[in-house]
Amino acid sequence: MAEQEDDKWGVAHVHASFNNTVMTVTDLTGAETIAKSSGGTAVKQNRDEASPYAAMQMVESIADEIRAAGIEGLHVRVRGPGGNLQKSPGPGAQAAIRALAREDFEIGRIEDVTPIPHDGSRAPKGKGGF
Amino acid sequence: MSERSVSRKKQEKRWYTVHAPEQFDRAELGDTPADEPEKVLDRTIETTLGDLTDNASENNTKLKFKITDVGSDAAYTEFVKHELTRDYLRSLVRRGASKIDAYVTVLTTDDYRVQIQPVAFTTKKADHSQERAIRETMVDIVEEAAAERTFEELIDSVVEGRLSSAIYGEAKTIYPLRRVEIKKATLEARPEEVAAEEEAAVDVDDEDVDVEADDEA
Repeated sequence: MAEQEDDKWGVAHVHASFNNTVMTVTDLTGAETIAKSSGGTAVKQNRDEASPYAAMQMVESIADEIRAAGIEGLHVRVRGPGGNLQKSPGPGAQAAIRALAREDFEIGRIEDVTPIPHDGSRAPKGKGGF
Repeated sequence: MSERSVSRKKQEKRWYTVHAPEQFDRAELGDTPADEPEKVLDRTIETTLGDLTDNASENNTKLKFKITDVGSDAAYTEFVKHELTRDYLRSLVRRGASKIDAYVTVLTTDDYRVQIQPVAFTTKKADHSQERAIRETMVDIVEEAAAERTFEELIDSVVEGRLSSAIYGEAKTIYPLRRVEIKKATLEARPEEVAAEEEAAVDVDDEDVDVEADDEA
């Protein structure tokens, strides 16, 4: 393990849609991936991939990996699907941040980086019943 | 690939400490790992102004730096972008008031091309003519500021808010303003790139242009 100064920071990119949650932990530049995980690694049922529970399990499973890289603090960049889809992050985002805090990572800035169109294509039509 | 080979690969990586440009006192921005020094080049790192100045009230400004030079365990950066956070910008937008944007691309005295995006918020809905007048003054002030400053000075005045308060002072006589900010300032081209473009540019005679140029004059 890299036992160094041990106060490095990283960035946790959390992509939370309504169908899945994808987490990638990188260094501050975003060029080097330290750990990654997605809903499918935590739960069996496809429809559970976006659940808060899956997000918690994911964080737990990659927490050691992050610590091994010597990272103590994380900035969080959450995003929803964006574009012409929902602009707000899905249910996994909040749970993932909570779980990171509970794993004793220092949480720095939390920022929403959902891609917002400056007017792009038309949004898909609604599904029946919504 | 077993787990072991992955971890061994990681040990070969060295951590480089990233430093801000001189302008920002070469403050430490953070660390980035790489197996070869060349791979550190061109990475960008983002911090807030509050982080650099230890002033939590300035955390609405994001600064982006690009790594241009690597030492044995340190990397040096140049400024590439200044941006307000989305949530702050959103918090300024009010119903029943005008938001006036402008996009200005300017050349500094030392030939850096920078795009500056000032934005003004009025207290109440302004007329279109007033909006246009405010936009015009914003563009004028930014162009003036760039014409007499070097890249570093210009960025300083953007980051420290001197440019936006200059706009505020001028434009508030047109219509009462609530706030003026520079929402974005991006480095578009360095002197070498500007020079290269100029060299590659070709003069086009007026006769060869197949467009009626009467809307300007």
